Amino acid sequence: MAATRAAPHAREIFTSLEYGPVPESHTCALAWLDTQDWCLGHYVNGKWLKPEHRDSVPCQDPTTGETLASCLQAQAEDVATAVEAARTAFKSWSAQPGVARGRHLTRLAKVIQKHQRLLWTLESLVTGRVVREVRDGDVQLAQQLLHYHAIQASTQEEALAGWEPMGVIGLILPPTFSFLEMMWRICPALAVGSTVVALVPPASPTPLLLAQLAGELGSFPGILNVISGPASLGPVLASQPAIQKVAFCGALEEGRVLRRSLAGKCVELGLALGMESLLLLTDTTDVDSAVEGVVDAAWSDRGPGGLRLLIQESVWDEVMRRLQERMGRLRSGRGLDGAVDMGTRGAAACDLAQRFVHEAQSQGAQVFQAGDVPPERPFYPPTLVFNLPPASPCAQAEVPWPVVVASPFRTAKEALAVANGTPRGGSASVWSERLGQALELGYGLRMGTVWINAHGLRDPSVPTGGCKESGCSWHGGPDGLYEYLRPSGTPTQVSCLSKNMNYDTFGLTVPSTLPAGPEIGPSPAPPYGLFVGGRFQAPGARSSRPIQDSSGNLHGYVAEGGAKDIRGAVEAAHQAAPGWAGQSPGARAGLLWALAAALERRKSTLASRLERQGVELKAAEAEVELSARRLRAWGARAQAQGHTLQVSGLRGPVLRLREPLGVLAVVCPDEWPLLAFVSLLAPALACGNTVVMVPSAACPLLALEVCQDIATLFPAGLANVVTGDQDHLTRCLALHQDVQALWYFGSAQGSQFVEWASAGNLKPVWVSRGCPRAWDQEAEGAGPELGLRAARTKALWLPMGD
Amino acid sequence: MSARSRGTELDLSWISKIQVNQPAVLRRAEQIQARRTVKKEWQAAWLLKAVTFIDLTTLSGDDTPSNIQRLCYKAKYPIREDLLKALNMHDKDITTAAVCVYPARVCDAVKALKAAGCSIPVASVATGFPAGQTHLKTRLEEIRLAVEDGATEIDVVINRSLVLTGQWEGSDFIKTSTGKETVNATFPVAIVMLRAIRDFFWKTGNKVGFKPAGGIRSAKDSLAWLSLVKEELGDEWLKPELFRIGASTLLSDIERQIYHHVTGRYAAYHDLPMS
Repeated sequence: MAATRAAPHAREIFTSLEYGPVPESHTCALAWLDTQDWCLGHYVNGKWLKPEHRDSVPCQDPTTGETLASCLQAQAEDVATAVEAARTAFKSWSAQPGVARGRHLTRLAKVIQKHQRLLWTLESLVTGRVVREVRDGDVQLAQQLLHYHAIQASTQEEALAGWEPMGVIGLILPPTFSFLEMMWRICPALAVGSTVVALVPPASPTPLLLAQLAGELGSFPGILNVISGPASLGPVLASQPAIQKVAFCGALEEGRVLRRSLAGKCVELGLALGMESLLLLTDTTDVDSAVEGVVDAAWSDRGPGGLRLLIQESVWDEVMRRLQERMGRLRSGRGLDGAVDMGTRGAAACDLAQRFVHEAQSQGAQVFQAGDVPPERPFYPPTLVFNLPPASPCAQAEVPWPVVVASPFRTAKEALAVANGTPRGGSASVWSERLGQALELGYGLRMGTVWINAHGLRDPSVPTGGCKESGCSWHGGPDGLYEYLRPSGTPTQVSCLSKNMNYDTFGLTVPSTLPAGPEIGPSPAPPYGLFVGGRFQAPGARSSRPIQDSSGNLHGYVAEGGAKDIRGAVEAAHQAAPGWAGQSPGARAGLLWALAAALERRKSTLASRLERQGVELKAAEAEVELSARRLRAWGARAQAQGHTLQVSGLRGPVLRLREPLGVLAVVCPDEWPLLAFVSLLAPALACGNTVVMVPSAACPLLALEVCQDIATLFPAGLANVVTGDQDHLTRCLALHQDVQALWYFGSAQGSQFVEWASAGNLKPVWVSRGCPRAWDQEAEGAGPELGLRAARTKALWLPMGD
Repeated sequence: MSARSRGTELDLSWISKIQVNQPAVLRRAEQIQARRTVKKEWQAAWLLKAVTFIDLTTLSGDDTPSNIQRLCYKAKYPIREDLLKALNMHDKDITTAAVCVYPARVCDAVKALKAAGCSIPVASVATGFPAGQTHLKTRLEEIRLAVEDGATEIDVVINRSLVLTGQWEGSDFIKTSTGKETVNATFPVAIVMLRAIRDFFWKTGNKVGFKPAGGIRSAKDSLAWLSLVKEELGDEWLKPELFRIGASTLLSDIERQIYHHVTGRYAAYHDLPMS
């Protein structure tokens, strides 16, 4: 407890039986800071970097406010130095065989093991988190992560053939949990051969210590560089030309800003945003255990954020009674005390919680606070907020640490609707002793991680990530590796940023088109209309655009689609989505195969249309055949989705599910008007998505031909094809909040717009940046990359026991 | 023993409604030991408190009046006087909660305690201990005889064949096991029992006591048990009327820890009197 209380004698304790302080000595952390002369710089290329004339920020003990050290703040040139070191190191590091990289990671794990006391005392001292969680949780997990990824590295040549490391990764970390968040990301990045520059918030010594430990291994000093600096340095790091990918982890709005500012800069962006979690408690629960789940999630310094708690109405009173009783037994205090449940997160977190609670109260909520908590700042008591009106702003806002917002639900169906009714999609737990119900809820929640009858379990082999506005980046398991890999042979792109891009006007208006004469030619009149909801429809604008063939003659007219047509198409796709996602992989494969057969029947028409676009007959026929093969291949791959993981220390499986994204919008490239359309349609449908497609702008007629078969074979709304001005349709799709993902194969400018606009609902986007793709090649036209991008992962934890 | 539990109508639906999630309980059991420790003054005070919860037990086939007498003396003087003085606890009259013996030894225990001039209750395991597989008639007779001899507390072994077929019995105290099983007092089991005690109290207002027994040998274990009860039931259960620890060797380890706390040295075997 707080050191201010006078220590009682054994006689009094014998009567009161109260807990006493259990201080963990932090002399080794101070001794380490002393070796740095109480001034921390940056750790770059295996050396401390302490440039002169830099601002410094004090690193304080959040409990006492005592200054522990001063931390130099990086400037742009320091960032450049670090990135250069990582770029140089990448050459030798990525050239190492995987086994050698694995060995290096194992050595780092052993170094951590030897110095773990220093790590945990330092981390607890400067973050204020309870030492128990850091010692028994984070530091152990850090070693497991290194061991797991050492194994992945050593099997990389076989298991990840066809993929290569991206290059230099920029990592931007949040103030809380920076040490562990860094480990989750650097381990896979280093394992696959990438190198890292991590920007940590001012005053976070632990990542620096870790970099020092790694640097002192001797070989490969520049693979992990840590610089500390203000958040404003994030875009500076991200804009360094050598950086291939930025992994950002932090607050939602900061992530949005970064997404917009990186548009067009040819850098991949992985976002992990927000920290709220959800707990769903049904009436067949072991309530006491579920209450412990709430403690794990919100009041034990294990989870980073607050908790939204959904309680079935019939057990509301019982749960509230037990929860409040349990809260009374919570203890909070100095993080380095071995007998407290919660530490502090400093003044800022305290203010945030206080503001949220006051607002909730003013909006009509009731607040319950309890526990043995030091009265002074920056401690904040465990807080339960309930009876919050559902439509109030606080009911929508992210719940901060250490607040739990409880609300009731009536049925499992309603619970799903409420739980999925937020823009967040991070993690959730389901508490129910009925297997069927638990699985129904577990599968139904749109979250990255779902635990059944547990909360906050983690393991290096289980992918952890999110969906919706929680960002769609992953760490851990196979998915974590792919974050830092790209298909071999991907050309390194130079920034194609268009400085005079006007996001307000890009694709806003459709240039008007005039009739270009009657359609001529030997082939039958092409199909006309927008293919929406299973049938051809007239466009809202009631106008058309002419399509020319290769010799400049009119090939046909296509409908001029607009914003309303996109809206209709997305609606139709949403209506078809639950049915299609519920289909078995076998049924999906069956439909794709049927479409393949239909394409072959339509071969002569398709080939002759391709011919008019200037393709030789032989090549045209080959394109049709290849398209049919693609459909068959993806039909077969639909069968192999997801797998089961076995996690140490847990009885029972963890399911790695591959779930559909939802409505996937695809803007097709100009080239390969048939093959590219089919190559993109097939994986999207095979993975259970419904699609809205904008076909090749140069020749959309081939896609429309295919739609004639889709109309007879597929359920309505499964695949929708909208023709028109590509920029305008792209704008409509990219800004649509209810499109779950967007693939764009078009101009560099369009790509930039798509990336910028995706910040709205943070939909994952895949853009070509104006680079053509070899759709006839297996790797680029049907490679695993497509399958990876066409579905999202969910980890479903199923602990078992009698 | 406190005022007897008034009991309540047997309602089996309470039992059928109980949900216990085993993996979650196992996790809780692990956490409780990691999240609460006491050190220094607190540890000493808690250990002395633990002494007052001990049912100092000998349940050996070769028990004789002489070792029963020694046990009773140890129950009266569990911690060396000079150690208690150093802690300023010598006037707190610290004794164990009871001595626990076989029915045939109750007489010896009562006599020994009387000779020592103290009022520590004698508990006896009766009713076909440890299996409970004898006739109801002989079991009842066993209890009657033990009480006649002066036993004031009886640890009854319930007929587990009835439990397994859903025919429950009631009691003032519930005990984790006889201490003679392969698995005895474990945390996960205790958590479930403590939660049942709390539920029963909330439903009926009756406080049922709790006695873990078997395998609790170290001072550290005893502290974990105290904090488990404190966390799950609260301070009101931390008194001998509602909480006992059935143990035989635990006391000597506690005394060693107290010795270390007071002197700063680890005790030799001969520094502390045997029980």
